[in-house]
Amino acid sequence: MKKSGRSRSREKDQKKLTIDRRTFLRLSALTGAAVGASKILSPLDTPAAQPLPPKNPIVPEENWMVTSCLNCQARCAIRVRVVNGKAVKITGNPLSKVSDGKICPRGHIGLQVLYDPGRINTPLKRTNNEKGNGIDPQWVSITWDQALGEITNRLNKLREKGEPNKLLLFYGLNTISSQDMISRFAEAFGTPNLISGDGLDSETEKSGNWMADGHYAHTAYDLDHTNYVLAFGADMVESSKPLSRFLRKWGKIRREKPNRTKIVVINPRYSVTAAKADEWVPVRPGTEGALAMAVAHVIMSEGLFNKTFIKDWTVGFNSYKELALSQYSPKEVSKITGIQPETIQRIAREFAQTQPALALRGQESINWPEGSFTSYAIFCLNALVGSIDVPGGVLYQESVKYNEMPRLVEDEIAKKGKAKPILDFRGTDRFPAAKVVTNQIPESLLENVPYPIEIAIGFNSNFNMLSPGTDRWDKALKRLPYYVHISPFVSEMALYADLILPSTTFLEEWGYDHSPPGSGFAEVKIKQPAVVPRGSARSVMDIVFQTAKRLNGGVAESFANMGDHAEGFVRFRTETLVPWKEFLKKGVGAGKDYEYRKYHRIFQTPSKKFEFSSGNLKHLLAKTKKGKEEGLDYLPHYNEAKFLGDKGKYPFILLPYQPLMVIENGSQNYPWAQEIFLPMDGVGWETLVEINSETAKSLKLMDGQGVWVESPFQKIKAKVKFSEGVHPDVVALPSGQGHTSYGKWQQGIGVNPNEIIGVDYDTLSGQAAFFNTRVKVYKA
Amino acid sequence: MVIDLDKCVGCQACTTACKAENNVPHGSPDEQRLRRDIFWNKVIAVTTGKYPKVNTELISMPCMHCDQAPCVTVCPAKATYRREDGIVVQDFRRCIGCKYCIVACPYGARSFNSKEQEEKEYLRPDLPPDRSVWGQWPFPTRTHGVVEKCTFCFHRIDKAVKEGKKIGTEVVPACVEDCPSEARKFGDLDDTQSEVSTLLSSRGWIRLREELDTKPKVYYLLK
Repeated sequence: MKKSGRSRSREKDQKKLTIDRRTFLRLSALTGAAVGASKILSPLDTPAAQPLPPKNPIVPEENWMVTSCLNCQARCAIRVRVVNGKAVKITGNPLSKVSDGKICPRGHIGLQVLYDPGRINTPLKRTNNEKGNGIDPQWVSITWDQALGEITNRLNKLREKGEPNKLLLFYGLNTISSQDMISRFAEAFGTPNLISGDGLDSETEKSGNWMADGHYAHTAYDLDHTNYVLAFGADMVESSKPLSRFLRKWGKIRREKPNRTKIVVINPRYSVTAAKADEWVPVRPGTEGALAMAVAHVIMSEGLFNKTFIKDWTVGFNSYKELALSQYSPKEVSKITGIQPETIQRIAREFAQTQPALALRGQESINWPEGSFTSYAIFCLNALVGSIDVPGGVLYQESVKYNEMPRLVEDEIAKKGKAKPILDFRGTDRFPAAKVVTNQIPESLLENVPYPIEIAIGFNSNFNMLSPGTDRWDKALKRLPYYVHISPFVSEMALYADLILPSTTFLEEWGYDHSPPGSGFAEVKIKQPAVVPRGSARSVMDIVFQTAKRLNGGVAESFANMGDHAEGFVRFRTETLVPWKEFLKKGVGAGKDYEYRKYHRIFQTPSKKFEFSSGNLKHLLAKTKKGKEEGLDYLPHYNEAKFLGDKGKYPFILLPYQPLMVIENGSQNYPWAQEIFLPMDGVGWETLVEINSETAKSLKLMDGQGVWVESPFQKIKAKVKFSEGVHPDVVALPSGQGHTSYGKWQQGIGVNPNEIIGVDYDTLSGQAAFFNTRVKVYKA
Repeated sequence: MVIDLDKCVGCQACTTACKAENNVPHGSPDEQRLRRDIFWNKVIAVTTGKYPKVNTELISMPCMHCDQAPCVTVCPAKATYRREDGIVVQDFRRCIGCKYCIVACPYGARSFNSKEQEEKEYLRPDLPPDRSVWGQWPFPTRTHGVVEKCTFCFHRIDKAVKEGKKIGTEVVPACVEDCPSEARKFGDLDDTQSEVSTLLSSRGWIRLREELDTKPKVYYLLK
């Protein structure tokens, strides 16, 4: 019987007190003694598995710290159990009301984010001038002083030349406090080129809202009180925001209120959400807009809409009604969507007659070219049944009112720089309503339009992994004259850096945060270091403070008098909301309770009402496109989706989806997440190409064999999985795998669907289209 | 334990919470291929039907803590046994690693720890730190070559009993505490007033593989 060294040494400690079974056997063999074995083997129902007394009884110093998570945008309040300076367990903070103190499974992965063996400990400088995927940058460690000196030297020179606009800033998932610092840095420095990852997320949701009610923001839903949910491509329990709130409220609406909420999921893919819902309606990809209009058709033709709300608080109803009645009969739409007319009618009636009801949309229905209008069409259904700012309806998120920062010191250089055009063409006639067009950047960089960039800094961004058309990013990053990357690990984007600065993870830093729209009421959460930072990592906020201090002119002045370091800044911004000591102890500060039916002040539209015909859009297009659009374009409507690739050559539509276990910080080197990556297939560590089993058989494929998935642009190889939960026209691929940069637990595992997705946009909001690429599948 | 399949969202927070709480080692692609990865709680998917009439049940599987546990019957070393309170536990010091229990368990709730080099594995910097600093349970150091499984977090329960706290309301296993949809409930099934008993009397429920007469103590509430 093989024993480990430790258990043997433990046994020694034990000998004085008792004789265990093995020692007994050994002794009896030697001496032949026949002691009453039953006595020593002891009655088995007493807790024999009591823990052994520890070898060196150390008194553990245990501490529960309150802070907040940052493994996705939900930024949930958490408590961290810290024992002798090490974080050992993460759980929810019950004081947070956004998700009733619950966290999603990603929250627990925080421990592995913190203790990731691939983290970097010092600033790294590239010594190999050749850049590219697979080329060793030959990093050498340098000190923080050298690193910051090098950066600020270059930044100062750029400003001296009067070209601060030639600085490009990227940011991925950061705390709200870091985002505030980064934006201020851009403002003070004088560059308009601040690029977030939002253009890869779901800007179409925001622009759809903006057309209807004037809020260019994600939608908040009162999930506590709703009785019916119609989810158009919304993966409510996988990738909706804020996720933990959706997870908690799902339990609540199912069984914690008198009448159980019915949930219907419309999606070409049988997602976890669809599996958990009451009904799954497979729809032809990209036709959800038509379906929403058909639902509206049924509701209006049968007079099931909320007459008082429509009369008092909406405009444009008649033209919307006319359009829906004339063009979107269930029979017509059935041909487009592939859904039976009877099903459409039934869903529409249920939706209108079970009040309050909600129509949700998610990436899979709206991240399409012209997805803004699909988003608008689905959102209008809520208004049609009066689910606007009522219990169980759409909410209007209150924002957190942080303490104002001191006035920005804007020098002449900064003013001139900011007046220059922006690299992503937002707000121009190409992307009229856009706030950011993330995926436009590579083209701008490669073509030097509107001007060349000299320095770029990336804050926890990993866009060459997350954007469709990844190879363009690689080419563009390669050409950047000087790129500084700030993150805790060497991500795919960091591979192209000239300098990497190690930043802290969320368990080691100061910050403040709030969740994306969801709860209605405002809630601020603290981030405070639960453990000492590893290596010499510094927080993004401290890096910005220290960089700004070394810069000339208005930049340094703009960062004076607001705390001087991360902790001070957090205190400065939040002390007016929550007393500091209380904030440190409780971790959250909630605003006042949500107030419903604020119709007189929530609509930010020309008519100050909910608009079925968008006045906001009309005004905007009059400005940017000089009024060449006709009436139809201001109404929610459906246009046949434009696909990339020829239908004859590429018969299937690629559907990349985000599984829950995708950590959104740009890395996936977390084994707890990797081993349970695809719950519907019961496997992890993998990308599976999911194809309808009948389709797969017609292609003469075998379940589990390797296949190529080829688009007109690229091809990738992965294992095929026969599925009963995929529309016959669709090939579904999970995103999140296919990392090439670092880490035993992610490098070379799975493939990245973004490599084969073509580049396209929703032209209104600049949202990257993810779902309109055609592919073919064949044996590898 | 009662798991409400209508409230469950299939998110697998139970799995990750358990991994962190009990320092359960993670697997690797190779271990998964050989079905050697260790889970004390795993969410399984059972799919039936043909497109478009397909149905997948996501079922969270902790140890069922059977009253008539086959693993207890077959264990030649008496390393696995049922405590008076009904929790079935595994004594690592007694376990000889014969894996009879793994074969006997009809629920696949047991894993064999085939990890080598115990010290290195558990003290690796990428894992949450060694729990030996906790002093007490759970599993200050773990040996390879033994069988592991869910304990209903009995370290929490025992501590609660000692401190006079109420089990099921104040103290629950990690998977119950961290279930975001609150689909899991834990408590005393003998107490007719407990939440679990009330739930079971209010709805239809099943126990897995009832026909084997193992009398599992994990109940699933149906939709």
